[in-house]
Amino acid sequence: MNLMGLQDGQYRPLSPEQIETVHEASLKILEKTGITYEQGLEDTVQLLEDNGAAIDRDKKNIKFSKDMIAEQVARAPEKVVLCGQNPKNDLHLTENRVHLGTGGAAIKILDPKTGKVRSTTLKDLYDVSRLVDQLDNIHFLVRPCIATDIDKADYDINMFYACLAASSKHVMAGVNDEQGLHNVIEMASMIAGGPDKLAEKPFISVITSFAISPLKLCTQSTHIMQEANRNRIPVALSSAPMAGSTSPLTMAGTLAQLHAEQLAGITICQLTRPGAPLLYGGIPGMANLKTMGYSGGAVECGMMNASIHQLSNHIKVPNYNSAGLSDSKVPDAQAGYEKAFTVLLASMGGANYIHHSAGMLESMLTIAHEQFVIDDEIIGNACKVLKGIDIDAEHLALEVIDSVGPGGNFMTSPHTMAHMRKEYYNGNGVTDRKSREKWEQDGSLDIRQRALAMAKKLLAGPKPSHIPEEIDKEIKEKFNILL
Amino acid sequence: MTDFNEIKETLVNLDEQRLIELVNEALEKDIPPGDILNKGLIAGMDIVGEKMENEDMFIPEVLMAAKAMSKGVEILKPLLSDKETQTRGSVIIGTVKGDLHDIGKNLVAMMMESAGLTVHNLGVDIAPEEFVRMIKEKNAGILCLSALLTTTMPMMKQTIDAVVESGLRDQVKIMVGGAPVTQAFADDIGADAFASDAGSAAKSAKALVA
Ligand code: B12
Repeated sequence: MNLMGLQDGQYRPLSPEQIETVHEASLKILEKTGITYEQGLEDTVQLLEDNGAAIDRDKKNIKFSKDMIAEQVARAPEKVVLCGQNPKNDLHLTENRVHLGTGGAAIKILDPKTGKVRSTTLKDLYDVSRLVDQLDNIHFLVRPCIATDIDKADYDINMFYACLAASSKHVMAGVNDEQGLHNVIEMASMIAGGPDKLAEKPFISVITSFAISPLKLCTQSTHIMQEANRNRIPVALSSAPMAGSTSPLTMAGTLAQLHAEQLAGITICQLTRPGAPLLYGGIPGMANLKTMGYSGGAVECGMMNASIHQLSNHIKVPNYNSAGLSDSKVPDAQAGYEKAFTVLLASMGGANYIHHSAGMLESMLTIAHEQFVIDDEIIGNACKVLKGIDIDAEHLALEVIDSVGPGGNFMTSPHTMAHMRKEYYNGNGVTDRKSREKWEQDGSLDIRQRALAMAKKLLAGPKPSHIPEEIDKEIKEKFNILL
Repeated sequence: MTDFNEIKETLVNLDEQRLIELVNEALEKDIPPGDILNKGLIAGMDIVGEKMENEDMFIPEVLMAAKAMSKGVEILKPLLSDKETQTRGSVIIGTVKGDLHDIGKNLVAMMMESAGLTVHNLGVDIAPEEFVRMIKEKNAGILCLSALLTTTMPMMKQTIDAVVESGLRDQVKIMVGGAPVTQAFADDIGADAFASDAGSAAKSAKALVA
């Protein structure tokens, strides 16, 4: 069942007037408060000044006029295609088309053998990427965890290599520095058959956390973002304030500040390279006010992540956001409902590229094999909702009703046969709908045990590398590949 | 003494204005400023810290309490002897080089301050040499390092090494923390203490210089 890229936008937390109000508020923030920056961004600041921004170098403040923002934002493409190494995994990001996938940079894993939490390794990254490759409802691969067992200098190239070898889905991740970015682009170009081919069919893209909320540019990440623009690599402009700590406590204030950060980021990208492919990357989050930790599992994260898509849609730029986090430490009922709520809300909001949706626990800090399998099922269910109910002659089935007649049954009707694999979401196999007797016979397994068994089976299968053999050899000659 | 109870309660209730009144009243009654500080304000903040750890209070409320307390301390400071202001040692805190995360580190700094320690918060992306320089300049008794990235955790070790090299290691106790940091890692790199949250960080710092 292909449930990728469905159109939605039924859940609209903001009315059209409210969208306008927030958008205007964001423009006011950029005009009146402005954004700040630190040493090292002199060139970027000059570029902004040359194009109409008001710079106060003593105060390190940049202010933008409405017109400047409008002009630059209009240059950002309305549609961005993020490709997979296999074209069946291409993602057409635009309007209210919904895609969901993994999210990044966890540092711990529940060990699949012992169940105990430990640091993630490069091998873990490779294994979970293979899982993602085989789980149909996970549409793309944002590097789900960090390899804590390798040197920082080898990070970026190995991270992308592990993902690209293991999966033919679109691969996205952050990089540590510009050198890392260049290495990754070079490797991907080798696979693509040159930089032009890569730009044409970008099967990698880069997350750049250009903003340190509130309203500050991160020097390193802004450099990386602009360098990716110059190299025609799509970027996701991540900014992730936490309501109550790095943005106002209120949802409206958080949205307004975040939208302002995005408008500023998009402006920088479009000035760097007009038409640069990018994803609006507002990730509204919440602080747990009792600890100031990140509350990824809060239902309001789902509400705000649906709203932020409305704001990106308002300026006609496809978006990257977040849903499917949980604050739970293990794949339990809390993880289940937190994920289901936010994933469904963000999906029904029509968000284009929803990351963090599979595998994560403890608000971005931990992953678990079984969680990927469970989340694949949650995403499948959410996408099924987007598909809606077909109402037409064939689906109304009046003839069938007539021919079966009052008092009959539909079990053997050809109409049932014709629709039974398509009309309902059939699941990936992890959901239990057996009788109690059968369930007991099969070992009385709970969802976590069943999911773990499925993951084990998927990983025991063949390990095809998605990188062609000759190119793989060249890559290994050129770079220090540690996998 | 009932006065201290009222001071403590008022602090826990976040009534800054009343707190200042109470501090002034206590001074008028010739209660030693050191007692007002230690038995009143700091003791009150200890209660706040406990409530924070038990999640009975929101952090913004804890911050309000800390602010109210520091207003009280301002009144007392000129009246305290040097010895009294120095009692609990001075702390250097910062996020290590290459790391820009500061929310948790700032919370730790704030809790230590309200535990009566003098805190110099250097900010983020701080190089080992800078930490060393500041330990010397402030004659610090505690060095606190924060890191939120696995890629910057090695920088904690490098910073500790720089402190050892500078010959200052015997002067300072070193504490480390941040989401990826563990007790085992702290032991590994030769830190003196680790804490997983701001409340226990403050407690542990007080214990280190006691
Ligand atoms: C907010 C955040 C950001 C914000 C930071 C804003 C700010 N002003 O600090 C922004 C958006 C800027 C950011 C940027 C990045 N981030 Co970040 N970030 C987070 C996030 C979501 C929350 C951190 C936080 O503030 N927690 C709340 C505070 C209160 O908790 P805390 O920091 O743990 O502190 C408590 C304790 O640890 C302890 N403590 C802290 N310090 C100390 C010190 C001492 C001495 C002691 C005793 C105790 C102690 O007490 C504190 C209070 O209780 C975490 C995920 C997470 N759930 O932790 C990711 C996370 C840390 N970030 C991550 C990443 C990857 C990045 C980026 C590299 C992203 C990118 N691709 O560009 C950049 C790096 C920038 C840089 N060079 O530092 C990863 C780290 C992975 C890794 N390799 O280790 C994480 C885990 C998220 C993820 N899985 O993707 N991030």
